[in-house]
Amino acid sequence: MADAVFLALSVITIGSAIAALELRSLIYGSIALMGTLGGIAGLFLLLDSPFVAMFQIAVYVGSIAVLILFTVMLVKRELIFKKIEDKRRKFAGIGLMLVLMVGLGSVILDSGIKSITTDEPAVDFRDIGADFLTYYWPALILMALILAGSVTGALVLARREDVGNEQRAN
Amino acid sequence: MSVIAPKFKFSEFVKSILDNLFWFLLIFALIGVPLVQIILFYVEMPVINGELLTPFLALTWLADPSRTLPILKAFMTTDLFRIAAFPGFGFAALLAAGTIFVERKMLAKLQLRVGPFYCGKIEGILQLMGDGLKLLSKEIIIPAKADKPIFWAAPVIFVGAAAAFVALIPVAPGWVVADVDVGLLAVFAVIGFFPIITILSAWSANSKFPFIGGIRALHQMVSFEIPLILSLLGVVILTGTLNLSEIAASQSAFPWIVFLPVGAIVFFITILAELERIPFDLPEAESEIVAGWLTEFSGMMYGLVQLGTYLKLYAFAALFVVLFLGGWNGPMIWPPFPEEIITKGIEAGPITVQIPGLPLFSQETLNGIVWFVIKTVGVIFFILLPRGVFPRIRIDMLLSLGWYKLIGMAFINIFIALGLLYAGVLGPGGML
Repeated sequence: MADAVFLALSVITIGSAIAALELRSLIYGSIALMGTLGGIAGLFLLLDSPFVAMFQIAVYVGSIAVLILFTVMLVKRELIFKKIEDKRRKFAGIGLMLVLMVGLGSVILDSGIKSITTDEPAVDFRDIGADFLTYYWPALILMALILAGSVTGALVLARREDVGNEQRAN
Repeated sequence: MSVIAPKFKFSEFVKSILDNLFWFLLIFALIGVPLVQIILFYVEMPVINGELLTPFLALTWLADPSRTLPILKAFMTTDLFRIAAFPGFGFAALLAAGTIFVERKMLAKLQLRVGPFYCGKIEGILQLMGDGLKLLSKEIIIPAKADKPIFWAAPVIFVGAAAAFVALIPVAPGWVVADVDVGLLAVFAVIGFFPIITILSAWSANSKFPFIGGIRALHQMVSFEIPLILSLLGVVILTGTLNLSEIAASQSAFPWIVFLPVGAIVFFITILAELERIPFDLPEAESEIVAGWLTEFSGMMYGLVQLGTYLKLYAFAALFVVLFLGGWNGPMIWPPFPEEIITKGIEAGPITVQIPGLPLFSQETLNGIVWFVIKTVGVIFFILLPRGVFPRIRIDMLLSLGWYKLIGMAFINIFIALGLLYAGVLGPGGML
């Protein structure tokens, strides 16, 4: 059962990733991207980590995909994309991807992943939270600073100089 | 001679009925019965009273309640019953239908109108059924330049997402379709689907009004999702769990609205915005953009979107009840099941019927359902009420409300919860 689900999820993930790259229509491409991200969420569910899976859906499918859709719908396509059709580039890209995959795969296979026993209980998300607040607190502070910085930067970028104060909402 | 059917003959009327009956029986005997038998061959039957259930005795069950009840009880433990009937779709759709009726009548009374009146004789109680039949029989019109696959899929996915939301709501102790450990996060994940469906359906209609409505809906939903999530964190901090059943069970002494009223207010306002209800109904502003992102939907596609909307309304109200009002907790008001029916059976004159396995639900479950329904109906009433009172607000006011005031209030709520937790008043290991 788990094998069949894994195979189906892999097919969905990889297939919709290819579709997201290859489809001519940008809207359908972003829908396919949602399929990829949802498939990854399904893989997380299969790995007994529903916490990560739910965040994957809430953040990536729920927010990032909406952002992409929003951008695609509001911006005229000709303004942001220049079509470059080139066989050599395509094959070079595929080759680069294969090299990367083989390299990463050999590293992962060498890292002792085969010796992991799979019947251990799943990690509780409360433990993850506790670890973040105790041992890994510098990482948490760093992430908070980066997020605060990006939000501030976005606010500065979004501020319009040509709108007077009397035109703003109270 | 009647004017409506001048060539009416009673003999031909009887003949047509008999004809229809003959063909129905013939087709049912030749195709229906073998089909049912083939299907039953693959369905796994439960074992009741030590013997395998025989579906070919269906007519016997109908006549004998002492045989029907154990089958019903076995059916009630299946997942299908949970998904389709009780804590899931059927229950939610029933409450949603009641909501639609109450909304129309109450709004009419508030505006000094009559509302639905003729359909069904008593205060137009069958109006919803009539509307449903009308929508079912209407033609589905697809705009010529619409993106057909997305346009067809959007209402179905909308109802699906709303049903997934309903599936996460615990109605009574142990009565929930999907009891996931990270239930609240799953709720956030499901809520995240609604803006996508809205904007995709709006775009696929290839028309200006739906697109404007869809963009407005997207703005509104995305900006109100943040205060929605933040306002619920206070409850999670105090209970220390994300499981909705455990959150509901933790409020047996007092509901969280006593200590987190700010969070409850923020959550209620965000509910109104997420449901696109007045005063936040900009995506469907009928005086500006026809019907917003629903403009191009016709027939049962529109009906499906409406069904999904009201399922969503029920689910949000139920979520408010579970998180802030104590869920199914309440004083015992349901009378206990009479003992003599279990021990002696029902006596009706000379006949005594012994029915095994009679209390289908336990007393606690029924009491929980009653309290849950009372609270949910109350919350739904308060969601409906602004529609008769408030005007629609501008979109810039809406966005500034969402981004400045509600997020600020949600943070105040989180600080209240943290203060209560660190003062040792509430939470795991607290005084109360």
